[in-house]
Amino acid sequence: MNDKRHDRRDVELDRFFALARQASPDISGVERNFETRVIARIREWRERQEPWYAWAWRLAPVFLALTLLLAGWSLFYSPVRPADPVATLASGTQEVALLNNLTGD
Amino acid sequence: MAVPDKDADLVRSAVGGDEEAFTELVRRHKGTVLRSAARFARNHAELEDLGQETFLRVYRDLRSFRGDAPFGHWLSRITVHVCYDALRKRRREEKDVSLEVLAAPVPDPSTGNGPSAQLARMILDQAMSRLKPEDRLVITLFELEDRSVREVAELTGWSETRVKVRAFRARQALKRSIGGDDER
Repeated sequence: MNDKRHDRRDVELDRFFALARQASPDISGVERNFETRVIARIREWRERQEPWYAWAWRLAPVFLALTLLLAGWSLFYSPVRPADPVATLASGTQEVALLNNLTGD
Repeated sequence: MAVPDKDADLVRSAVGGDEEAFTELVRRHKGTVLRSAARFARNHAELEDLGQETFLRVYRDLRSFRGDAPFGHWLSRITVHVCYDALRKRRREEKDVSLEVLAAPVPDPSTGNGPSAQLARMILDQAMSRLKPEDRLVITLFELEDRSVREVAELTGWSETRVKVRAFRARQALKRSIGGDDER
């Protein structure tokens, strides 16, 4: 910066900066096989980032089994049907009418 | 004849799913990234984290690299942002840092007897750990990486005025920390 104030403290600080610039950080330990570790981390990240449809595919057998089960159940399940469905409905209607009469609705 | 841009070719291949191409990109640029991140890391474990985080972001955002500027510039911006995020995260932890090292004898520039480069870096690191993350980022890029105001502005995405103000404030704070109490 052009407007640096070069008083004594500025000179001292600049001296510190100059010295610190010379101290090139030792990165050799980290640099060794760094790319291998980066790729491993990326793979780990990719596994965690699986899209929703990957899960859908994994759940496909479960859905298939459920569908087969429901299909089988609907084929073989035959509930006992009332002889006269109109009478059944009418009996329900009578109850509602009675209730309305009692409550005054 | 135009020189083929090896990085651009590697980026294209990596975007297409070529893992070996991305590995080659990391191999080519790891030195630059790690040297830059080392200015902010406290130890090798942290440096490893910063380096990995940088390349992970590069991988994630690779498709957004348009190629209108060199890959190295784009990578530097990501490195700076990763380091800045780390500084902000660390800010609270470092509030109670021991400042004993700052009580070390201040070198007398007139005699030429001063601290070694490593000691100077250590003292500066300690002093800079007290700065705000923005100030620390700017002063590191400006003074230790010897970048211009314009470069720092481009890397951080801040205005040149903001960079200058931050650098000025950081210098004032560092002078107070390192220069001692003799002028108070």
